[in-house]
Amino acid sequence: MITNEKINNFIEKIPPAPKALQTTIMFLNNGELAKAAQIAETDLALKAYLKNIVNKPIYGFKNEVSEISQIFGILGVSSSQQTVYNYMMTLLSPKKWELFKLKESTFHELQAKLSRRWKQILEHLNINDMEIESAITLLPASIIVSEALFSDKKEDVELLRSVNNLDLNTILSRLCNVDLFDICEKIAVKWEMPLNITQIVQASSGFKPLEDSDLNLLGKWMHLLLFYELSQPVFIEAGLNDFIEFQIDYVGDIYDDFATLMEVS
Amino acid sequence: MRALVKDGVGIFSPQGFLDAGSAGVLLTVEDIHATTKLNADMILVSLKKVVFFNRNGLDTFVKMFAKVKEKKNISVGFCDYDVKKYKAILNFYRNEVTFSLFSSQEVAHLFTAGYKNKNQNVLLYNEDKSQRSAMAIELHDGGHNPIIAQTEDEFKTKKNADNAYDVIIENTYLGQMGQNVAARVTGNAIIYTVSSFLDAEIGSIFNISYHNNSLNVGFRLFIFDAYKVVSMNVHALNFFSRLASSGAEYNATICFVGMTFEKTPTAFKETLEDAGIMFFDTMESILGDKELLSELGASSADSGLNRRVINKLTVTELPNFIDATVATIEMMTNSTAVKESAQVNPIKIEDHTDKIASSIGFYGDMDGMVVLIFPKDIAKKACQLLIGEETDDLELILDTLAELVNIVGGKVKSLLNDHKVSVNITLPRTYPDIDSLLEIAQDRKGVQVDLSFDNDKFLFFLTR
Repeated sequence: MITNEKINNFIEKIPPAPKALQTTIMFLNNGELAKAAQIAETDLALKAYLKNIVNKPIYGFKNEVSEISQIFGILGVSSSQQTVYNYMMTLLSPKKWELFKLKESTFHELQAKLSRRWKQILEHLNINDMEIESAITLLPASIIVSEALFSDKKEDVELLRSVNNLDLNTILSRLCNVDLFDICEKIAVKWEMPLNITQIVQASSGFKPLEDSDLNLLGKWMHLLLFYELSQPVFIEAGLNDFIEFQIDYVGDIYDDFATLMEVS
Repeated sequence: MRALVKDGVGIFSPQGFLDAGSAGVLLTVEDIHATTKLNADMILVSLKKVVFFNRNGLDTFVKMFAKVKEKKNISVGFCDYDVKKYKAILNFYRNEVTFSLFSSQEVAHLFTAGYKNKNQNVLLYNEDKSQRSAMAIELHDGGHNPIIAQTEDEFKTKKNADNAYDVIIENTYLGQMGQNVAARVTGNAIIYTVSSFLDAEIGSIFNISYHNNSLNVGFRLFIFDAYKVVSMNVHALNFFSRLASSGAEYNATICFVGMTFEKTPTAFKETLEDAGIMFFDTMESILGDKELLSELGASSADSGLNRRVINKLTVTELPNFIDATVATIEMMTNSTAVKESAQVNPIKIEDHTDKIASSIGFYGDMDGMVVLIFPKDIAKKACQLLIGEETDDLELILDTLAELVNIVGGKVKSLLNDHKVSVNITLPRTYPDIDSLLEIAQDRKGVQVDLSFDNDKFLFFLTR
């Protein structure tokens, strides 16, 4: 159904991050917001994405924000970098979603919600780290990878799941000894994303805990956050709720804290 | 979201956060409708992967339970929860718990008639005395040995005794249990359990489509376990007479075991005997007598009277059957499956050693049966995706092979549908050795195709 050859083809076809993006991120890493905005202005698709995403209700701005310098200024260095990484992920997403009932706008909505709530979690945990804030941007890559690998096998997947409750990640790892999060890691390496990011996202799969307890804790929060969002009606309808398996035991010790923070009742 | 049915129990497995919004999308009207059509003795919602739920979230499933009970009168409830969730559910519904709560799927299975492992020593405790009694009665009826702890202290003490019990039941609540006629398979016989008063309701609680599918797939002996039947009226008499007549076409035998006629007119017995139904005092007198079993058709599920030759339509559609098998094996193994040779003849298996098989029947615009025969190790390899781990557990391998042949059946159905041929598929059957397969397929003419993947050979047989 899915072969290692198909996975390798997918990874090979991932384009390197565009020059403008690399430069924007470099300036953001150095805290040079004005220079970063100047470069970002030259990439019209990036500009449109940034405008669209920061004007979503979850960002809570009263007036429309339209200038890149203004956007970066309001977001600050960390969130700007996070948003640019989010844009990079969209470069991988398909024009038309087949496996999941997603539209471009719904996927952007998911990115925005994950990003904002991740920031809220980091503030709650008193973590102020640009790389860690950007880690959440890699998580939706697992959805893009699923779509890319399984979209032409939709019927097979449905048939298989009608007799056995297997999630896409398990199917992939049993067939190819590689899982969705391993492929996410390869994307991150190709785009020269920091190591911390890949480690947290690997842990957020829920079945690969890290020895580093601090990073592992972040993996737990990320796993729970993912399922919190994937339990929203719009994402259940898109077929995202069960594409990977929720590891309830992994998040047991942080659930109460999470529920309080997200005001789950 | 659809329930996955295994061993007669349909399980929904939602995950994440369950509130009114999410549950409403997870379980649509179509899903509820499909659930009422399932061939299951019990419908459960597993809360194993649900980290949060509220009453509104559960209500969606509780409404589904009500619909299922209304249509099918089977047991319904939640399972796989911890004590915190158990208390929360009881608290939400207080005096209106119309469904059951089973701490695990294993516990739930104990309360189904189709459960394979009978005679389990079960320690149970519930602070409500009537619940304790209800559970003990159900378990006893199901062929288990319940041991009731009368107090929490007694329960704790007994619970800590090493290996004293096969299963321990706590945090479990029995709602209204289903009254459907439960079915289980023993060898090549199907045993239905009936109880109390048999009246016109038997027509709605007996799963006639399961029975017909069983006839289609080759079962010929049907035993009604009637130890607990108090009496029967004329409506039930007519029902069983009709059932016997329709089974005669297949040369099927229907038996009643343990039925006393203390409160039923003895003339009814004569009428039923005239219709071909046989009566036995004990189950052992049938199942323990191989000669009798053979005579009744259970050791040779194929009576021979229903044996038909492959027809033109079956041959025309043969490529679809092979394509479905090849595609399934390729999907499951990531390797290329190859057709090596094909011939029309009675099934011929050179070496019987260490081989297992599975079959699935289909009926509708065309009918027949697909049989797949694998060396045991190759079956394990073919089922690796579904099994997920190394195992020598034959029962697990056979169960998984049944899943595989179910996928083949699903693919056949879909491919034939593309050619405007509409068929339904039966439940899969498995055979732990070739002798048991030959009991049903011996001398049947069909198309035998040798197939292989990764140079591992297996056999496909299509017959009618």
